[in-house]
Amino acid sequence: MDGSVRLDEVVMRFGDFTAIEKTSLAIGSGEFFSFLGPSGCGKTTLLNIVSGFLVPSEGQVYIGDEPMAGVPVNRRPTAMIFQNLALFPLMTVFENIEFGLEVRGVDKRKRREVSERLLALVALEGSGPKMVTELSGGQKQRVAIARALAVEPRVLLLDEPLSALDLKLRQHMRTELKAIQRKTGITFIYITHDQGEALNMSDRVAVMSAGRIQQVADPMTLYRQPATGFVAAFVGENNRLQARVIDCEGERVRLDGGALGELAGRVSGTARLSNGEAAVLFVRPEHLRPVEPQASGPKLEAEIEAVHFEGAWVMLETRLIASGEKLRVQLGHELSRSQAGAFSVGQRLAFGFDPADAVVLPDDGSPVVDETGEVVEGRPASAGGTHV
Amino acid sequence: MFRQLRARFGGPLAMAIVTLLGIWLIVMVTLPQLQMIEYSLRPNLLPAQIGGPDDRLTLANYATLFNNDIHRTIFFKTIWSSVLVTLLTLAVSYPLAWYLAKVATPRQAALCILLLIIPFWINEILRTYSWFIILAFRGPLNEVLMMLGLIDRPIRFLSGNGGVMVGMVYAYILFMVFPVYNAIESLDDNQVRAARDLGAGTVRTHRRIVIPHAKPGIATGCIMTFMLAAGSYAVPALLGSPGSRWFTQIIYNWFFEGGNWNQGAAYAFLLLVLCIGFMSLIMKIFKVGLGDIGK
Repeated sequence: MDGSVRLDEVVMRFGDFTAIEKTSLAIGSGEFFSFLGPSGCGKTTLLNIVSGFLVPSEGQVYIGDEPMAGVPVNRRPTAMIFQNLALFPLMTVFENIEFGLEVRGVDKRKRREVSERLLALVALEGSGPKMVTELSGGQKQRVAIARALAVEPRVLLLDEPLSALDLKLRQHMRTELKAIQRKTGITFIYITHDQGEALNMSDRVAVMSAGRIQQVADPMTLYRQPATGFVAAFVGENNRLQARVIDCEGERVRLDGGALGELAGRVSGTARLSNGEAAVLFVRPEHLRPVEPQASGPKLEAEIEAVHFEGAWVMLETRLIASGEKLRVQLGHELSRSQAGAFSVGQRLAFGFDPADAVVLPDDGSPVVDETGEVVEGRPASAGGTHV
Repeated sequence: MFRQLRARFGGPLAMAIVTLLGIWLIVMVTLPQLQMIEYSLRPNLLPAQIGGPDDRLTLANYATLFNNDIHRTIFFKTIWSSVLVTLLTLAVSYPLAWYLAKVATPRQAALCILLLIIPFWINEILRTYSWFIILAFRGPLNEVLMMLGLIDRPIRFLSGNGGVMVGMVYAYILFMVFPVYNAIESLDDNQVRAARDLGAGTVRTHRRIVIPHAKPGIATGCIMTFMLAAGSYAVPALLGSPGSRWFTQIIYNWFFEGGNWNQGAAYAFLLLVLCIGFMSLIMKIFKVGLGDIGK
């Protein structure tokens, strides 16, 4: 059972609007693969192209090396879990799960066997005769998974299936989805705007923005070696500092931060930088530490504007004295405890960071976008940009 | 209900509304019906005999129908033909309602609905007459079919049940399209997509997902169409032939040609009872409650 999926130069246009720029991508059989991006980035469109609900304007989709052109939705070896689940409300749990088998002409006894086995897999034994309307949100979720698995798809497509659940349940279902994926060995293609979900469950993640894949990598690499400014800003939290390259020495880069003085960082991934080029230094809030003003190495002097106590950590909103830019600082348990209550609004502090933790990327002018697709920083999206 | 009305409009106004509604229901609906039933239970007498010894309650008027083969045949034929009209209207309306609700763009749907409604600004009799012209022996439909070479000689559309069927489907199509359209429109698109995704073809998707969801709408449309068809007078009178007489025409004859109101009232009441009985049966078979129809 080959569940590999390959997109070969796929383009999707709606009238004048290009929802998916030319995209090629190979997803391995049995992989848990996520598309992560703000709403309107084209990730759902890609999913609909794989499932067959949309026919790409150009290019070809292969599932297990078979071209899918001309293969309608109901003949593809895929199954989809919809954002709103789309369970059949007039049917029982059994009937829902067995629907796909009924279509395939499987006899009644065999059908019941399969649905009993799947109900056990999703820990819903005994709920078969209930109407789906009697179930709780989490239970409905499980029925949707079982219904999709019943048709033995080679590829399972999940369109933000956890977004309707509350936080606790969502985290629990992540673990469970991952376990089900491991047990069944089916390729999962998961769509989400929630980076926590993507990083947590996936073998690999494709970060998308404005119809383009920005980077495909495993979660750790995405976090440590972002390929573009968009990825650096979208995955995890990051402070952006505009700078100019002084020189590079191996991975290490010396930067001229203008009013901020000399800064240093590490080249991200395979990015190329030339001396004198405009660049952006990304420093994550959790990598900043308060330091003595006399300490050596790069340091950023800032004034605290707000203190948010979050329990396990403290988030400081500060403003750089030299440039007036915002800087967010996250102090973990050990640091925030020693100074508990010591941070106050208006206080001036110096923050330092290890240059190995701060990545430098060429300034591609990419805007900073939050999960809903709103531009929160940088220049506004150009026409045909981040909104659909 | 009175409490709600009072909360909204205050005591006196609520009282007035309820009183008016009560007067309307009792004087305009219930009393005439009761009078019809009373009529139907008395023999047809000369004015002089009314109140005399012959004026007593009797079921003789009802017995007439069961003793008259022709009337009885027409009675059941009317029911059967109304069923056919209902099924035919449903067959025409369902794809149309599906198209309007799920396929057409909002612009196309609006245009289509407008085109459906415009003819209904014209009186039913006139619309039926236009079908009379279209279906006539030397009418435009025959002309077109001859021109296309599909037929050698004109067809007598109006001699059998065909004309009546066409006329009625056309006359009542809106009563079917709109309830079915409303029901289908409320179906989540993802339901259809999910069924397709799980492998269902078009027929199965409709049979298992769309039709069960639209059942209350379909039932409403069918009940309205059936009642209108069974009680229709203009269409069979204009488009019918002697072979396709409708029971309503016989009732009409008793009232206005036979001058026997008592007999006519009995026939009318029988038609009403049978229609209600038939509808209850259908609702029971399709497990639709009165509450669903109001939706």
